[in-house]
Amino acid sequence: MPKRVAIVTTIYRYLSHAQHMGDRFLIGYPLHGKWHKGDMQVVSLYVDQKPEGDQSQERAKEFGFKVYPTIAETLRCGGDKLAVDAVLIIGEHGDYPKNDLGQVLYPRYEFFKECVDVFTKDGRSVPVYNDKHLSYSFDKAKWMVDQSKKLGFPMLAGSSLPVTWRLPDLELPLGCEIEDALMVGVGGSDPMDYHALEAMQCMVERRKGGESGVKSVQLVDGEAVWDDPRWSKQLLVSALSRSDSPQGLTITDARTQDLVGSGELRKIVKNPAAYFIERNDGLRTTLLMLNGAVKDYTFAAKIKGKGIASTQFFLSPVPNVTYSACLVSKIEELFLTAKAPYPVERTLIVSGALESCLQSRKTGGKKLDTPHLAVRYQGTRTAQHARG
Amino acid sequence: MISRRAVLAGAPLVAPAAQIGRQKIAAICTTYFKFSHSQHIVDRFLFGYGWNGTHHMPPFDLVSIWVDQAGDTDLSRGRAKEVPSMKIYPSIAEALTLGTGKLAVDGVLLIGEHGRYDRNEKRQTKYPRYEFFKEIVKVFDASGRAVPVFNDKHLSWNWDWAKEMYDTSLRMKFPLMAGSSLPVTWRTPSVEMPVNAKVREAVCVAYGGVDSYDFHALETLQCMVERRKGGETGVKWMQAYRGENFWKAMKDGVWSRELMDSALCRSHTLKPSRPGFNNDFPAEESMRRLVRQPVAYVYEHNDGLKSSMLLFSGLVEDFNFACHVDGRKDPFSTQMYLPMPPARTSLANFFSPLTNNVEKLFLTKKSPCPLERTLLTTGLTAAGVDSLFQNEKRLETPHLARIVYPAPVDSTFWRS
Repeated sequence: MPKRVAIVTTIYRYLSHAQHMGDRFLIGYPLHGKWHKGDMQVVSLYVDQKPEGDQSQERAKEFGFKVYPTIAETLRCGGDKLAVDAVLIIGEHGDYPKNDLGQVLYPRYEFFKECVDVFTKDGRSVPVYNDKHLSYSFDKAKWMVDQSKKLGFPMLAGSSLPVTWRLPDLELPLGCEIEDALMVGVGGSDPMDYHALEAMQCMVERRKGGESGVKSVQLVDGEAVWDDPRWSKQLLVSALSRSDSPQGLTITDARTQDLVGSGELRKIVKNPAAYFIERNDGLRTTLLMLNGAVKDYTFAAKIKGKGIASTQFFLSPVPNVTYSACLVSKIEELFLTAKAPYPVERTLIVSGALESCLQSRKTGGKKLDTPHLAVRYQGTRTAQHARG
Repeated sequence: MISRRAVLAGAPLVAPAAQIGRQKIAAICTTYFKFSHSQHIVDRFLFGYGWNGTHHMPPFDLVSIWVDQAGDTDLSRGRAKEVPSMKIYPSIAEALTLGTGKLAVDGVLLIGEHGRYDRNEKRQTKYPRYEFFKEIVKVFDASGRAVPVFNDKHLSWNWDWAKEMYDTSLRMKFPLMAGSSLPVTWRTPSVEMPVNAKVREAVCVAYGGVDSYDFHALETLQCMVERRKGGETGVKWMQAYRGENFWKAMKDGVWSRELMDSALCRSHTLKPSRPGFNNDFPAEESMRRLVRQPVAYVYEHNDGLKSSMLLFSGLVEDFNFACHVDGRKDPFSTQMYLPMPPARTSLANFFSPLTNNVEKLFLTKKSPCPLERTLLTTGLTAAGVDSLFQNEKRLETPHLARIVYPAPVDSTFWRS
């Protein structure tokens, strides 16, 4: 019997997360050199907003499922008891307001809460995947994870970046001693800094002792970033050496560049931002958001006794965005095995660290202690990113 | 028989570096504009490139350049101003002798890709690689010594000339490296064909034109299948298919549908076949609608291996490989990843591993990849073009049946 899946989403429109992930449950996706169609059947859909281009009805008709007006009905497929084996929550895209930290108030917590209400009332719960960060608010995110523990259902969350292809195919050895780590990201806040933070987190969580929690954060932006001694120039050179998309002179005449060594970096990045994240075990990590420098996501870390390791998280081209196929294969694993392939705590800590970083920015870049982010967990024994 | 063992016989007559210190390199180019092969390769010597997690500066001085066609979009003059150690010379001979009358460089880049050159009746672009090579060799002859040469892409559009280039490097005992970036770029997944695998059939799904990207696709295939048990045994015959004949051949199972589908499933650029879907697997009628001019080169090696190169322009924009390996249930497949500017990236970074391998050629005076691979793919490209020109006739290829070589044990593709 195929697993019965409910999709709960903000919008279902071409190239929205719901479309490119949800469709993979309907028509399959490339996996390990085959077109893979999992033993899954989408049986119900909830869409919060139906803007122009909405595809929900069209998909429902073609693939034989129903769009329900509420989340509870979606999970119960119109009946009076939970009638699905798994829930896919995709609260990304759609028209939602922003708060004073600049976060889009996607209703992931609200969607999740409604699912939990059904689970509680019906005395049964099923695996839940939550796309991207859990919530803009750590308290809400924490509540979500706590509920999954309390009710005993497996939960997976997060972005495609930790599971996509890496150039090169780098996995840090579990238990390695990381002395310093730096991530380079681009794009707006809060969607893209979240992706970058999660990419960094999936690497640093593999260090000796595992993740020990975030002790403090500080978000500095503007010129002050360049002279801040807390980030390593050597790691930045290494991360940028993995980029396929340097800007500036490369755009002019396609030349290769050492952006750091030549000093071009400072000329082409108008408003750099550094997210300094200090961990309870003493590790200091930095995300540099360098809009104007590059267009891809790269990482470098100094490993004790082994030198610098670096890679690019490969965001494959639109429209295929095959990185989302990598993610869907992990969601499928969650649904089939009722075990999360990697810990939801990764997404929890990143959700919270991002919120605190944005709060730091709001206070003009003050360092904030984050005792609430003492989230401890271990990385997975086996690599979870695309490599086969 | 053409084999590498013949190359290895006898001591090489390659001269030691012209002088103690950094080696001097000359670049002989058809043209040098933004996104031309010369720009990608020579720029990496001038400005360095990301390699092994740092910005790597090649330990060479690119001291001279000769450009056949320097038009309005030329960048070589600007580069020479910016990097004064590189001088522009008015002839190939002078670029190699630095005006001294004798060979004065330690390595030569021969980049005969891009530029306006005539096409012949078979639609082959007559890039003057052979002509440039002859000029280079003339200087070697006159100077009584020879240095390593890298020839970008295939040796020549003309088989006899290509073979002469190969023979000349053997006769004069200088290392000649040639070929495309495909064998050396990133792979998703990052896998190498196991050495001594028993390979029954191989397919490459790619895109692009005849006498152009077909060569890249053939290199993609060859760098993998040459690792099979027994090494490369030579190619017996070649048959090309296009248009309706292609679709008929596909239906008739001339190549494995399973391998073709597997290669397609490694693509990151499958054109959606239905509006509103971003990544669906195309049904046959969608393939026919999306691919207006499909081209296949199907050929058989002496040990019975069948290889097929499929150009699916309109359906994919990448190079994907799949083969049947004995003992494996599923096809062995991967994509040779080309970060292609300007749509997806700003740097054509597949030229970084190619340049790095060229550096190895210059440093060790030994080509890191077998020249026979490129001799074979050069011949296969020409044979494919010939078959198309002769109404897709199956052509016996006795000249390619003699190309026998073992694959290098070390992988040369980009992994770190």
